[in-house]
Amino acid sequence: MAGRVKMEKLLLRNVDKENSHTIDVYLKNGGYQSLRKALKEMSPEDVVEEVKLSGLRGRGGAGFPTGLKWEFAAADVKEPKFFVCNADEGEPCTFKDRVIFEKDPHALIEGMLIGAYATGCRYGYIYLRGEYPIGRKILERAIGEAYEKGFLGENILGTDFSFDLYVHSGAGAYICGEETALIESLEGKRGEPRIKPPFPVNAGYLWKPTVVNNVETLANIPLIIERGGKWYSGIGSPDCPGPKLYPVSGKVKRPGVYELPMGTPLSEIIYEHAGGIVQDRKLKAVFPGGASSSVLTADEIDVPMDFPSLAKAGTMLGSGAIMVLDETDCIVRAALRLIEFFRHESCGKCTPCREGTDWLVRLVRRIEEGEGSEEDLDVILSVSETMENSFCGLGMAAHNPVASSVRKFREEFLTHIELGRCPYRRG
Amino acid sequence: MTLTEFREEVRKLKESNKYPELKSYLLPALWMAEKNFPAITHDVMRVVSEELSVPLVEVEEVARFYAMFHTEKKGKFVIRVCTNLSCMLRGGEEVLSELCRLLNVKPGETTPDGLFTVEEYECMGLCDGAPAVTVNEDRYTNVRLEELPEILRKYGWKG
Ligand SMILES: Cc1cc2nc3c(=O)[nH]c(=O)nc-3n(C[C@H](O)[C@H](O)[C@H](O)COP(=O)(O)O)c2cc1C
Ligand code: SF4
Ligand code: FES
Repeated sequence: MAGRVKMEKLLLRNVDKENSHTIDVYLKNGGYQSLRKALKEMSPEDVVEEVKLSGLRGRGGAGFPTGLKWEFAAADVKEPKFFVCNADEGEPCTFKDRVIFEKDPHALIEGMLIGAYATGCRYGYIYLRGEYPIGRKILERAIGEAYEKGFLGENILGTDFSFDLYVHSGAGAYICGEETALIESLEGKRGEPRIKPPFPVNAGYLWKPTVVNNVETLANIPLIIERGGKWYSGIGSPDCPGPKLYPVSGKVKRPGVYELPMGTPLSEIIYEHAGGIVQDRKLKAVFPGGASSSVLTADEIDVPMDFPSLAKAGTMLGSGAIMVLDETDCIVRAALRLIEFFRHESCGKCTPCREGTDWLVRLVRRIEEGEGSEEDLDVILSVSETMENSFCGLGMAAHNPVASSVRKFREEFLTHIELGRCPYRRG
Repeated sequence: MTLTEFREEVRKLKESNKYPELKSYLLPALWMAEKNFPAITHDVMRVVSEELSVPLVEVEEVARFYAMFHTEKKGKFVIRVCTNLSCMLRGGEEVLSELCRLLNVKPGETTPDGLFTVEEYECMGLCDGAPAVTVNEDRYTNVRLEELPEILRKYGWKG
């Protein structure tokens, strides 16, 4: 591994600077130059083309091509249009967007401005998760600074382009990260997903065209405009290029957010960047893309961390949150905790998810407590299959951590059943 | 805050022109209520309902849907202990039981003096500092059991 080229910091280029959250520091480092370039030298269509050329795919979990989303929104003529930043960051063990809006909020604001210009949006909201009150203060301050300097408001930089931006705080509901539930929540309702289509780009907030993009997605935009889509498309995996933020947590020596080219092998992220496993223990299992991803075993971690490679490996990139378990951790306990989360967060609208998550919690808990039977494992897999018919992505993916654990660590489930207790339980 | 003052604040919120329609002010109004009252009671909801022209039942539904809104009386300080995966792997459950032992409450309960509510909570995005605890808006990361009494004392715990 000697001689590996260290990637230039792109998304995290500013975060280590003192007062990186202030507009003065952002401007001193070339901030808002991309906005200037977009408004003065490019038409909205040019911007969409450049983003399409970059190959950027959304970082919120679904990986939808950003340029294409913008093209759809730009084509819709209903007015007014809204540009919404999804800063709900609710996927367990995901803490990458937080780094951007706490340390480099102007990069996000600039990305939103360029997106709003490209798609013809007049108003914007940052839907921020309720658990991030510090982020709220930083973002509101940054928005205030941007108004003062004339980057927000009417006739920005002396052009016809006007854009107003506000922060909207969520209040503790994971489902509000799903874009249509987010829109319902913005409208002052309970966060329940809407049926798609119509998609938000045509019928979103107040049924008007609405672009919803993730924080990390938008932080890429100023870079793409500054250096060009072609340059961007050369970074990392060819079919989903760019830099990627990987939040790593659990049993690694150096938990944190690592910026690496999309497609960096999972093993490299864990062992080189995050320092390997605590106390040099053996790695047991990894959830490579947040709580809704299927688990990988120690033999499966040479996989490139990008959308297609992880899909091929039977799991998903999701938010890119890497959760690492070592040999002393119980996989049954881990699966139980994740499905408990989904049961708590299920909005209750549809039966497969509402009932399915409840069933899975009860079945896995029974096994964890030593009261389970081998048939329970088959029931878990068949309930999981039924959950595929859920109304939205929450229910469709909630069973992944449980079903994959049963499939890949069946022996460990059986040990719990045979011993009548958890073999890992301390004390 | 009195209900009259609260009504004034909701009116100011409406004047901010942040949203093109009234109902969208519901979450911001409930946030204001959450921060200024021990509980979002029916009286508080009624003010919101009147000012935003949203039926009372809908205000209540929304207030109950979101985990961060308290419709029952909460303590002056809400302590949230994360026990989601990364915190669980690094001792979050032990932190929760030690806190409950020190304060002599169960998760979800409030101390009799009304000072603390302890909540078992889902991931708060502080997983690189697991186990994580928040007290109102303050964050504590890499929390060790021994430092819990010291943290509590900062908020007026006499134990
Ligand atoms: C249950 C569920 C939760 C989600 N949570 C988030 C989230 O917290 N943040 C986010 O950006 N996207 C989240 N998404 C994805 C959004 O629905 C949407 O795809 C994304 O915001 C689009 O932005 P992008 O194209 O920039 O990725 C979630 C999806 C589902 C199904
Ligand atoms: S899948 Fe779950 S979260 Fe999604 S609509 Fe159905 S009940 Fe609600
Ligand atoms: S798992 Fe505890 S803060 Fe994320």
